[in-house]
Amino acid sequence: MLSKDALREIEAARAEEDSPRHALLTALRVTQGERRQVGPEEITYIADLLGLSPALVQGVARFYDQISATPTGQHVLSLCRGISCYLCGADEVAAAVGELLGIRPGETTADGRFTLRLVECVGDCDRAPAAMVDDRFVGPVAAVAIDNLTKM
Amino acid sequence: MAQYLTRNALDPAQRELQTALRAGAYLGFKQALSLPPQEVVAEIDASGLRGRGGAGFPTGRKWSFIHAKEGQTVYLLCNADESEPGTFKDHYLIERDPHLVLEGVAIGAYAIGAHRAYIYMRGEYASLAETLAAALREAMAADIIGPNCMNSGYDLRITIQLGAGAYICGEETGLIQSLEGRRAYPRVRPPFPAVHGFLQEPTVVNNVETLACAARIMAEGAEAFKDHGTGRSAGTKLISVSGAVERPGVYEVELGYPLMEFLQGEAGGIRGGRGLKAIIPGGTSVPVLTAEEAAPLTIDYESMQSAGTMLGSGGMIVFGDDTSMPQALLRIAEFYAHESCGECTPCREGTGWMAWVLRRLLAGEGRPGDLGLLLRVGDNIEGRTICGLGDASVQPVRSFIRKFRPEFEALLPEPVQAVAWQSHGHGPRTGRFGPPAEEATRSEAVDGPPTAAL
Repeated sequence: MLSKDALREIEAARAEEDSPRHALLTALRVTQGERRQVGPEEITYIADLLGLSPALVQGVARFYDQISATPTGQHVLSLCRGISCYLCGADEVAAAVGELLGIRPGETTADGRFTLRLVECVGDCDRAPAAMVDDRFVGPVAAVAIDNLTKM
Repeated sequence: MAQYLTRNALDPAQRELQTALRAGAYLGFKQALSLPPQEVVAEIDASGLRGRGGAGFPTGRKWSFIHAKEGQTVYLLCNADESEPGTFKDHYLIERDPHLVLEGVAIGAYAIGAHRAYIYMRGEYASLAETLAAALREAMAADIIGPNCMNSGYDLRITIQLGAGAYICGEETGLIQSLEGRRAYPRVRPPFPAVHGFLQEPTVVNNVETLACAARIMAEGAEAFKDHGTGRSAGTKLISVSGAVERPGVYEVELGYPLMEFLQGEAGGIRGGRGLKAIIPGGTSVPVLTAEEAAPLTIDYESMQSAGTMLGSGGMIVFGDDTSMPQALLRIAEFYAHESCGECTPCREGTGWMAWVLRRLLAGEGRPGDLGLLLRVGDNIEGRTICGLGDASVQPVRSFIRKFRPEFEALLPEPVQAVAWQSHGHGPRTGRFGPPAEEATRSEAVDGPPTAAL
């Protein structure tokens, strides 16, 4: 299910401590990165890999916003809705981006390229309204053509 | 603008080890390694350094709580989960001067007798984790960090761990739980992390900026640190200012620096030449200040405390006079409702209720008692939860309503019904002053002579 690199990364996390549980956070992140979701199949797989119960893995997976129960698009476009971004027009930007992509927050474009998310403060408030494409900070979104966002 | 912590941060070349070394990187670690750990703790204690993550707890004292028994593994955890809304100072430090951060981690670990350290970064900082990891690889290749750090005989292993999106992981026991591979439900204290922390071992959790300060202090001495700031607020502070200002960004200031001077100077004044309405000085978890309250204050722990708020994380959020405070409060309340981890009922339910009541007020569907209800819900959260998130969620609600009450009252329904009801039984029972028609009919029926119907 996972690439050799991914397995190596999980193994490295596992080697850090005696507790196999410790590697779970890394396993979830790596799996999300490769599979774009941590759904029932992935949960069973991780549970087997680390020798943990699937219920436990699911409980932890569902705690985190960046671990998705259903597949995301190829890219995740996260628009910050934090208070600082709100004060800099984030609501208007979110509405414009939603209209451009033809989807609402939480949805994925029909071609599967973009999932749009509204997220809490991402810690990039000096570039408000802040946004991220996958792991990259791309704010302020008002300053770049919104069109460009979807071409990155 | 002070230049103590950030003196090298403006130069992008600082990310590279050779440049950083020329600017004095790791001299503090070298100095620390030449001393017994207790003396490093004593030096930090003497500097008066207080935690820069939000709580302001004296760092030297925190370190002195570690008393490891034979066979125990001590851990230093660097909290780089920076998620308090409006806070992005650690983002700045890690991005601009990663070696200063690593040096601080190394010093903290040495001081508490740890050979293992983790830097826990929020998942959104994955790109910064790469910068930090590159710096760590360089420092390890140069034998500065690793087995036998700088030929001192001291071994240190630093691991960078990314989170996956949850505000509560910045709470120290939430961070520990997350690192252990659990849901980040905060733990009941005592026992404190210094006794039972990560994997039940003695653990210290320090903020990024705090450890960076420790690096400077070991390089230049506690006295040089105390040359900055005020008596009880020693040193400088990174202020991340955002919202309605012309120049949002991270600025290092002397503690004790006048707030208005900062706002007009470094931050460039209110955006669009507007007036100032309010300031949240240290992240959304601290009470808001009106423009009038903020005017005489200085940026330090005591001054903020005297005004009933806190310096917190230094995440300063500025509101211009065109801001709707109820709208802004809704945004903040929704944050806490989303980020409450769900472990404690008062917080899990209460944060949702506060957001819900604010939403209905703003939708024009408020009820007469809604402001009182909001405050009561807050009272029932505060002090009744395991961690500080619940308390934090109450601060904005209470302070916004108290300080900007007319804006909230304007959202309440017209009190027609209330007035009419009050007059019932007091005023003369005439059509004009009596209770509403329906009520009048009913009382007539009761009060009227029993024979009337016959």
